[in-house]
Amino acid sequence: MEQTCEDIDQMFSNLLGEMDLLTQSLGVETLPPPMPDPPHTEFNYSVGFKDLNESLNALEDNDLDALMADLVADISEAEQRTIQAQKQASQHQPNTASQSSSFLGNGASLGYKANFTSTGISLYEDELPPPPADPVLDLPPPPPPPPEPLTQEEEEAQAKADKIKLALEKLKEAKVKKLVVKVHMNDNSTKSLMVDERQLARDVLDNLFEKTHFDYNLDWCLYEIYPELQIERIFEDHENVVEILSNWTRDTENKLLFLEKDEKYAVFKNPQNFYLANKGKKEGKETNEKMNAKNKEFLLEESFCGTSVIVPEIEGALYLKEDGKKSWKRRYFLLRASGIYYVPKGKTKTSRDLACFIQFENVNIYYGTQYRMKYKAPTDHCFVLKHPQIQKESQYIKHLCCDDARALNQWVTGIRIAKYGKTLYDNYQKALSRAGLASRWSSLGTVDPAAAAQTPSKGHTVSTVQPNGQISQPTHSVSRIFQEAQSHVEATKDKKPAISSYDAPAPPANNLKKSHLPPPPPQRRSSDVNSVSLMSPKPIMIPSKPSPQDDFPLPPPMGEAELPPPPPDCNEEPPNFVPPPPPTVSSADDFPLPPPPPPPPFQSTEPSKPPPAITKKPPMPPKRLENPGPAPGGASGEQDFMSDLMKALQKKRGNLS
Amino acid sequence: MATWELQVFVGDQEAQEESVTLRVSGESHIGGVILKIVEEIKRKQDWSDHALWWEQKKMWLLQTHWTLDKYGILADARLHFGPQHRPVTLRLPNRRALRLRASFSQPLFRTVAAICRVLSIRHPEELSLLRAPDKKEKKKKDKEPEEEVFDLTKVVLAAGVAPAQFRGMPAHFSDSPETEACYRMLSLPQPPPDPAQLLRLPRPGSLADKTHLHSRWLDSSRCLMQQGVKPEDTLWLRFKYYSFFDLDPKADPVRLTQLYEQARWDLLLEEIDCTEEEMMVFAALQYHINKLALSGEQDDAAGGSGLDDLDAALNNLEVKLAGSASTDMLDSLTAIPELKDHLRIFRPRKLTLKGYRQYWVVFKETTLSYYKTQEEAPGDPIQQLHLKGCEVVPDVNVSGQKFCIKLLVPSPEGMSELYLRCQDEQQYAQWMAGCRLASKGRTMADSSYQSEVQGILAFLSLQRTGGGGGTGPANPQGPEASGEVLNPHGLVAPRFQRKLKAKQLTPRILEAHQNVAQLSLSEAKLRFIQAWQSLPDFGISYFIVRFKGSRRDEVLGIANNRLIRIDLAVGDVVKTWRFSNMRQWNVNWDIRQVAIEFDEHINVAFSCVSAGCRVLHEYIGGYIFLSTRERARGEDLDEDLFLQLTGGHEAF
Repeated sequence: MEQTCEDIDQMFSNLLGEMDLLTQSLGVETLPPPMPDPPHTEFNYSVGFKDLNESLNALEDNDLDALMADLVADISEAEQRTIQAQKQASQHQPNTASQSSSFLGNGASLGYKANFTSTGISLYEDELPPPPADPVLDLPPPPPPPPEPLTQEEEEAQAKADKIKLALEKLKEAKVKKLVVKVHMNDNSTKSLMVDERQLARDVLDNLFEKTHFDYNLDWCLYEIYPELQIERIFEDHENVVEILSNWTRDTENKLLFLEKDEKYAVFKNPQNFYLANKGKKEGKETNEKMNAKNKEFLLEESFCGTSVIVPEIEGALYLKEDGKKSWKRRYFLLRASGIYYVPKGKTKTSRDLACFIQFENVNIYYGTQYRMKYKAPTDHCFVLKHPQIQKESQYIKHLCCDDARALNQWVTGIRIAKYGKTLYDNYQKALSRAGLASRWSSLGTVDPAAAAQTPSKGHTVSTVQPNGQISQPTHSVSRIFQEAQSHVEATKDKKPAISSYDAPAPPANNLKKSHLPPPPPQRRSSDVNSVSLMSPKPIMIPSKPSPQDDFPLPPPMGEAELPPPPPDCNEEPPNFVPPPPPTVSSADDFPLPPPPPPPPFQSTEPSKPPPAITKKPPMPPKRLENPGPAPGGASGEQDFMSDLMKALQKKRGNLS
Repeated sequence: MATWELQVFVGDQEAQEESVTLRVSGESHIGGVILKIVEEIKRKQDWSDHALWWEQKKMWLLQTHWTLDKYGILADARLHFGPQHRPVTLRLPNRRALRLRASFSQPLFRTVAAICRVLSIRHPEELSLLRAPDKKEKKKKDKEPEEEVFDLTKVVLAAGVAPAQFRGMPAHFSDSPETEACYRMLSLPQPPPDPAQLLRLPRPGSLADKTHLHSRWLDSSRCLMQQGVKPEDTLWLRFKYYSFFDLDPKADPVRLTQLYEQARWDLLLEEIDCTEEEMMVFAALQYHINKLALSGEQDDAAGGSGLDDLDAALNNLEVKLAGSASTDMLDSLTAIPELKDHLRIFRPRKLTLKGYRQYWVVFKETTLSYYKTQEEAPGDPIQQLHLKGCEVVPDVNVSGQKFCIKLLVPSPEGMSELYLRCQDEQQYAQWMAGCRLASKGRTMADSSYQSEVQGILAFLSLQRTGGGGGTGPANPQGPEASGEVLNPHGLVAPRFQRKLKAKQLTPRILEAHQNVAQLSLSEAKLRFIQAWQSLPDFGISYFIVRFKGSRRDEVLGIANNRLIRIDLAVGDVVKTWRFSNMRQWNVNWDIRQVAIEFDEHINVAFSCVSAGCRVLHEYIGGYIFLSTRERARGEDLDEDLFLQLTGGHEAF
């Protein structure tokens, strides 16, 4: 692994050299590299340039991290490398300084600056110098590499491709935009969390569950409210949160809520109310209200699993607010997959006579609240269609009013199905499997606190008592995460075998055996930790991490399950007690199971105060850093060395930033 | 043992039959009789496909170990000794004709399966054969030019083996240029029909008309011979059950194409109604599909476009990283193309009579800014518009040399409307392509920019020539044919031909086209099929029936999941019953009545007016059969189950 990093590093230092040349050739505008807080104009001319700066900046840390991992692996070798590293670092130092400073300054000019500072959501500018955990570099020990040996050429080609992929990922990473979002809770409290631009509503929900320890259920959702327009809607799980929030204006009163809404997945819980309701009505009795589970499943399968999704047939008279007036006109509307249509005067409701009212491509659907007051609507059951970017009253916002709540619900749900199609069903399926996971977690909740106590000696006894529960459930979470990982970062998957094959020749074989090389990522985070005081970088955890050790922030700790969640416990079991837990599964070939870690130095603070742990959480990564160390008994000597090393590293970083 | 003389007619055509007289007994086995016939004829040929057909009883004597007694054959039986497989002409869903040999002795279900195997269409249970309508013959003869009939009669498939792939097609198609052409016909979409011809084709004028088609379905449990089909007859092959299982662009090139064709003709001939907006999308998809098919884009349907992108990006990056000249690197990383020009802009406002005014317009990344003059450009623009998420609508009249782009740009305050007027096609194409990319949040540095520009130019050229439409799409080959002779009227149902002129139609199709322009051929076909399936009236087969206790004719619609009772005159849905609630159904063959029992003791009974009650019965049973596929999974057909569900007692 470190080999790869070094290679990349080399690539970038080449680039760096070139950039230096460039900056020199830019002449007048250029400032000498080490200046700490220059005007930043000179960097504004190029996007690419900035990205490189950032990634280089990140790489610097990474380089050190890799080094660190190496040190852990072999002390004697480590000593040599420190010297080397110091050399290297001293070479890089001037550049680094300039880069990090330029990054800081450029936050604004990059366009990453969030304008949202005051009310509703307050979004702080994200100036955390090191980019968040990198999805690629943070990769845990690769899963068993393919056994078939590659030819030399293939190997080289592969290695090259891998490096490039890695670099590409870095470049992308450097561009990631982050917002700090204030989410309003049911009890009028708020929680702030960082959302990066790749996160979907689903991921943010996961973070919120982690923070709040609410019981997971399908109805929880992110909910946006526009007080000015008196409209609100549920975020679909697949929507990109940053993208939506970017539409809000600087001085917006809009709010983001975390609450339970039955409507979110109502259609999947009782599809008959939407798909069969109208027909039932005609008969004059609501026979369809209840349906057995099998039929429901059948109906859902039929509606959502075919070649195309079936949009429920919804039609009826609605009131439409006329442009610019407070009057409402009654018309007969029909929902089709292609949009909402109405029956023009004197025409029939056959397809050929219908006039198109609106198509869904560019609009979102909202509930209108208290429109009887605001717009003199005939009833309070209103829905609104508007372009997501429109924030003020405008003729381009369409207001419709239904006779009753049932109709409203049907229309809104029907429109969501027409707009999102199969995605909606996929969201539901993911939420379901997530809920299944959660319930398994909560059933284990009773054990967790004990495990959470986690003093090394006690921890062992406790955790070994209940292996049955422990095994099944981390395995699940891991497999789930693996699935996600597969979809999220295909690239990483390709990469894994190569890295490990890369790994093998570089350090001597015994190196591997002795050290149980841990994934470098935790170290990365530990580095972040030191430089960040305001916000934990942790919410930016990307769910795509296939690391079994890394996955604990993802599954929501349920009930009393406090911060140190089960998987780490699981890792701490002595290997002979562990009937193959995920880590072994994923790393069986090259990476033996990490033996129980030594008592982490930061441990004492950790279990005591978990949730508001914005500042407390950071210590965890270093802890895991030490996981790979030898068995607890003989750890002391190593540990001293480790903490020394940590201090040294921190010092160095302190210098840099 | 008593023996008697048995006369047998030999030959596959009635006219050329020779008669042979044999001496047989009641104990003679069919196999022995056949042997005797062959010996008698003394002609060397492959008799393996021949079998005996008993004319009076309308049955094949396929059990060679049965005796004549067991079959009940006496001296007066008229027996024909002929091949079981005989040539028929199939009218495919794409309206092309194809000759091939079909089994006349097996149940139609199996015959169709064999045909589909030859055509490499998976899931043959969804298709069936109809008799060709007979009335059209008279007029057709003088008007229609000789049409090409593809011939697959010589193709014989080894039984039981899945056809291997060879040169991108099933191996049996790669034998000769003719069969290769046939495969192309099967797997590539056909050019749009001549609008004039489209107008001549019969279209259903009412719901009652739509029921006619379904009276022609052949019976799945009986063989072609039994149903009076003669060799060289024309039969229609169609998707009968609108429940398409596991549609996979990679595995189903022919199936997907034929399904697309059936959907297209359904729409063009107004078998299914859609709204104007939907028709525009269908037209745009057809145009797109056509263009891709003609440009010879091989439909490799790799599905890996994402991966390709990544590879491309990696290659780029590799070049960048390897590039020694630092300026190159910088350029390639930073250069985002811009457009700058004098354009005329019009902002519609209330109570304004101002027309277009000339401005200096700069289009950079996804932002459009305009200035009074070029000199003021470095300063503050009059207005700046971020085009991400905006609507881009073409407003073009080629003959009038009007090239306008209408932009509907969202902002927190609402939408701002802006018209850009370009001088010529070239300028228009560049700016239009830029606007379209920007609306999706991409810049002109995007790799698709050039192809977008080309696409717009191509469409403009279509408009230049479109509307004349005299030539027709007779010869689709040649580069200049790739769209220029296209008449938008060939893409829409005739009622839109009457409603909209080609001039009005083209811009609307163009507008719809921009949403689908990026699709690959198979994606576009799939999208077309999906849009077709999303129509509310999709997949309903109509029959005129008379419900028990009712005195007037009504319409029964059968869809893949439900039965619908429809008022014949008005077309309103009266009642819907879902198959999932169905307990059982019975057919009283004597009074031609179907009785169905649903949950909660709901009983429905009706007699069939427009079609045989066999057809209806088979439709219901067929859908029930298709719904069982989901669980069974796998390619193997449970033929027995199908015949059980669809066959009546007559069949056995």
